[in-house]
Amino acid sequence: MGWISVIGEWFFWPPFFQLVIAPGLVAALVIVIFILWFERKTAARVQMRVGPYNVSPRLGGALQLIADLVRYSFQEFIIPFTVDKAAYVAAPLLMLIATVLPAAVMPMSPVLPYSYSWPNIMEYNLLLALALLTISPIFTVAAGWASNNKFSLIGAARESFMITAYELIFIIAVLATAAPVHSYDIVRIVEAQRTWRVMALLNPPAFLAALIAVLMSTSGFPFEIPESEHEVVAGPFTEYSGLMYGVEMGAAYIKRYIMSVLMALVFFSGWKPLDPTPGAGVWSGYVAPLVVVLIKATIIMAVISFLRAVYGRYRLDQALHLAWRLALPLALIGYAIGLLYGYLGVL
Amino acid sequence: MPPKPAHKRVPLYGFLSAVKGNLEALTIGLKYFLNPNRSTLHYPREYIKLRPGYRGYIVLNKAKCIMCDSCARICPAAAMKMVRFQAPDPKRPGKMKLYKYPVINYQRCIFCGFCVDVCPTEALRHVPAHDVVYLNLAEMELDLDRFQVEPKSPAEVEGGIPVKYIFDPDRGLVKVRATEGGGGSGG
Repeated sequence: MGWISVIGEWFFWPPFFQLVIAPGLVAALVIVIFILWFERKTAARVQMRVGPYNVSPRLGGALQLIADLVRYSFQEFIIPFTVDKAAYVAAPLLMLIATVLPAAVMPMSPVLPYSYSWPNIMEYNLLLALALLTISPIFTVAAGWASNNKFSLIGAARESFMITAYELIFIIAVLATAAPVHSYDIVRIVEAQRTWRVMALLNPPAFLAALIAVLMSTSGFPFEIPESEHEVVAGPFTEYSGLMYGVEMGAAYIKRYIMSVLMALVFFSGWKPLDPTPGAGVWSGYVAPLVVVLIKATIIMAVISFLRAVYGRYRLDQALHLAWRLALPLALIGYAIGLLYGYLGVL
Repeated sequence: MPPKPAHKRVPLYGFLSAVKGNLEALTIGLKYFLNPNRSTLHYPREYIKLRPGYRGYIVLNKAKCIMCDSCARICPAAAMKMVRFQAPDPKRPGKMKLYKYPVINYQRCIFCGFCVDVCPTEALRHVPAHDVVYLNLAEMELDLDRFQVEPKSPAEVEGGIPVKYIFDPDRGLVKVRATEGGGGSGG
């Protein structure tokens, strides 16, 4: 019993486990690779194509993404001599780190293993997660600025336009779920949602606004504006090559994954089919709820990926128009509904 | 002074019609997601079975040729040339005779089919194949022996599945497996 439990205790130490294993880097990588494959296959199905196939035909080309990853890792990373070198190298790495950070403060279960108390003890973990989510776009702009390239600059300018549009919408829409339970604690928000009384059904305007904000923030279709391939080659990532390009592209997907986890928690009642009690062990009390949350987040990501196959791309002015004229009022309506629920004490 | 460009406003569509359009797009996407209609041809594993009259590669039947020279004269791309050689005459033993037969240069051929149309004895004919591979340009100039060999599609030789595209009134262009006797498609 002795040393296994000691290693388990170290392994499940939340600052490490939440950030590195799940829902942090390792789970993010696995799910993002699956979602990338799913996205390509879905777009191919809808558009009468086949998609990735020749690498591992029996798995439907699932190993194609692994092959791409290997190719990216062995490609030369070129640093052009016109760039601002320090910012150019640092921006993608900081972007990746800043994208994963919110995973550390999002509780995945009401009980933590081995009587640890972090991050559930933090009453304000929803606010913290939202605050940490707002860091990473700065590094997208920094990457575009440091690249010293006209396409990168245009992409960075577009990204900064989009930031101003989506941040407010996402924060208001997610805070609309905090109002009914009078708490910024994700655990209390999840525990307040019963079987079919999930926030997405109780408060559809807020959910829709949050979904639009997630699409806008991670350049998912129809808002793939900063990296629009046909106009500005790859936007802020034009000058990057090799693994750094992979890191930057992966960071957008990891951000989508983190936002999906947050939405699965606050809008889709998190670990709710399971109801872990404080006495439960590590597997039933912590790992099983985590898996439930990750499955819900994967489904949300799959729906977002499906939109890629259907929609074209908006122009920047159309996207901003939609954000300020439609999504922001939707978020405000959602927040008003949340306040009403809080006042009436529905949940 | 050039006229000022008019400020183009984003048209404000009706909210309900926008919702309706989005829902329609999502429904169509979902329909294709659940019931995909893939038209990709996996080429080496599948190949399009061409119908018999397809205007593909040209083959010479030397026994039927009467050396009339019409094919070489009509060829608009000057791909067809006559080769001349002396050979013993079968009717007059001991005497030599001047033979001339057509050969083709596929670097120049535009597959118009005039030579096949003009041939008075049907010595030239089309083969339903269009995907023969040559390793270099010199190989594309056929000599008399190779001009009489019927070229085969490499996908067919390697055991690919013959398919054809048919038009389905509900689903549009649909790829189906071509049966042995049935005619192919293409043209």
